[in-house]
Amino acid sequence: MSDLNTFREETRAWLLEHCPESQRQPIVKSEQIWGGRNRKFPSADAQSWFEAMSDRGWTAPTWPTAYGGGGLSAEEAKILQQEMARLGCRPALYEIGIWMFGPALLAFGTEEQKLEHIPKIVRGEIRWAQGYSEPSAGSDLASLKTKAEDYGDHFLVNGTKIWTTNAQLADWIFCLVRTNPDAPKQQGISFLLIDMRTEGVSVSPIELISGESEFCQTFFDNVKVPKENLVGELNKGWDVAKELLKHERAMMSSMESMSEKEEFSLVDLAKQTLGVDAEDALNNAEVRTKIAALDMEMQAFAQLNERMFYQHKAKQSDPRLPLLLKHIGTKQLQRKDELLLEILGNKSLSWESPASSHTEHTVTRNWAFDKAHTIAGGTSEIQLNIIAKRALGMAS
Amino acid sequence: MIFNEEQSMLQDTVRAFVQEHAPVADLRAVRADVNGPSYNLELWNQLVELGLPAVALPEQDGGLGFGYMGLLAVLLETGKTVMASPLVSSVAAATSLVQLAGTDDQKSLWLPRLTSGEITATVAVQEGRHYSLSAMQTQLVGGEINGSKSMVMDLAEADLLIVIAKTAEGNLAAAVLESSKADFDAQRYSLMDGRKYSDLTFTQTSVAPGNILGEGADRTAEIEQALNIATIATAAEMVGGAESLIERTVQHLNDREQFDVKLATFQALQHRCAEMYCQLELVKSAVFGAFARLDRGKDIHKAASQVKALANDYYQHISNEAVQMHGGMGVTDELDVGLYLKRSRVCNQLFGDAAYHRERYAKALGV
Repeated sequence: MSDLNTFREETRAWLLEHCPESQRQPIVKSEQIWGGRNRKFPSADAQSWFEAMSDRGWTAPTWPTAYGGGGLSAEEAKILQQEMARLGCRPALYEIGIWMFGPALLAFGTEEQKLEHIPKIVRGEIRWAQGYSEPSAGSDLASLKTKAEDYGDHFLVNGTKIWTTNAQLADWIFCLVRTNPDAPKQQGISFLLIDMRTEGVSVSPIELISGESEFCQTFFDNVKVPKENLVGELNKGWDVAKELLKHERAMMSSMESMSEKEEFSLVDLAKQTLGVDAEDALNNAEVRTKIAALDMEMQAFAQLNERMFYQHKAKQSDPRLPLLLKHIGTKQLQRKDELLLEILGNKSLSWESPASSHTEHTVTRNWAFDKAHTIAGGTSEIQLNIIAKRALGMAS
Repeated sequence: MIFNEEQSMLQDTVRAFVQEHAPVADLRAVRADVNGPSYNLELWNQLVELGLPAVALPEQDGGLGFGYMGLLAVLLETGKTVMASPLVSSVAAATSLVQLAGTDDQKSLWLPRLTSGEITATVAVQEGRHYSLSAMQTQLVGGEINGSKSMVMDLAEADLLIVIAKTAEGNLAAAVLESSKADFDAQRYSLMDGRKYSDLTFTQTSVAPGNILGEGADRTAEIEQALNIATIATAAEMVGGAESLIERTVQHLNDREQFDVKLATFQALQHRCAEMYCQLELVKSAVFGAFARLDRGKDIHKAASQVKALANDYYQHISNEAVQMHGGMGVTDELDVGLYLKRSRVCNQLFGDAAYHRERYAKALGV
């Protein structure tokens, strides 16, 4: 038996022993375990599963054991993922530190910074937030204005960050700040870690059109940040940010697969809602055609992903294809949302009235929330710019 | 979902051949010779020498064993120069019909001659203005065909004509006629894509004994499968055409200057090209998916409709955009983009338009 087969057998046995039955049920949002000083466990089972995983460093399977990580090879980590999926194990930890910040710190941080921050991320002791966008710096992120001035032993930070996801729950925030106002845009930016408990940091939630408020605006008013919290070189923060952005797509896709998903089958919902004729065809020809057309395109999108998977496996990846995913995927999602609203008719128009069902409210809230997908993480317009320049080689 | 090494090498070979010997100018020559052949016979003979008629079939049926993915590799390349050839009519449609629906005797009679390129065959399936299998009227009863067919490809060169008709029981049947000997009325014409098609009328046309594929057994499923193969083959050529159009358009925008800047620098044009490219990779992925399913022996009923509806809609959109973005030159016959535009509309009608396939897909989806 090869080493990997042995690893698979052992992993499966270990998971069976340490993952309680209750933690092998589909995850619901209220039972997700996020890191943080104030983290709470919904049950004793959840806590023991989390602790078993974090003790082995398997909350961050490929990170070095020196910093508390699992020390697994990429192949072993894939096997762990496959076995967890096979047994239906819930993700042990949801954390931006795991998905995005940790990999960047491992690449750019000093030994002291890694020893200070990485183990706490693995053990879910600290919850991280991201401070990138500003009210006047969205797609043009490099125009950010939040400034960090050099005061000898510390930086003095002033400014504001927006779309800081769950900042009201976060312990620390990693920020892009301007450290040289005279340099060209991207060359005067540094990457700074800020403890949210520092005096002068305040957070206010932003209510979205979907009624949710997991996004915040975070304000920095004369916040003193120790010099050792600078990651990478002064004025070279853009390099760290680029490394981190590479992990953002992976994060967004893993968030997708881990988030509480109430899957709505367009076909079933349409048939229940609109009724069928004697031949079991939907009573509404236009909606029927729209469902067929959308399903074909969603299938094609799945096939594009599948094709990329096989290309990657054969080491023949076409570098142009990943550039298309966000734009196509988010556009299709919004089309599906619009079609669901059309099917539900006036029952899709309320937030919480007793006249509509839980399903109907969920469809409606998703519809509103998903408007953010073509904006966050690079707007569709930015995606199209990138496709034109990098995939098609159009002159700029 | 991707080509293996042999299929990739085949694609490279065909690409080199087509780019050198079968540029769009070849289609122009076919178009200009109104009463001439449906395709350049000399070029076809060279493709035969490359073994292309045998590319998809397994070795026990006299094929080269590249699989249908091998045929896909070929069609993507011939589509790029809108090359006229019997690859869809004879190789994808007729050869598949014989292979899938024929008895062992029928296969050993016709397949070796088809795969060696000694003969070609074509299929008469469409009737009237719109392709629809369920609306088929032509009858094959008591060894006689009655009815009419439209838009039959490459008939003048085809040694065999396979007619799809309804039996008395309402099943589908495929009758093989030797086109030079059989008694039917044919009217040949050119369509806007520069290729030749024929409308046929059958009046008590008799079918030789032993020439009905399957010899009495119900072959409806096999016939539908062969037509699915012809459908995705058509879509594969369309994808090749769309890919070439995007390349040509981007090239033009990178070359052409107005207001002292390259047209490609305008964001309105960049975004439209990027959307075209998204469509191209979506339909290409769907086509790869369908051919891969076919080679794995999986059902492609639904996949065929997905692929053809997407190819129809996207190629139509991409060809319209290509003409528009080429500006005034785009509406001249001198420029090749117009040939792709017209070819896209002809392809739309081959083996089912988008509305037909969306309806068929909806039914398969259960909605």
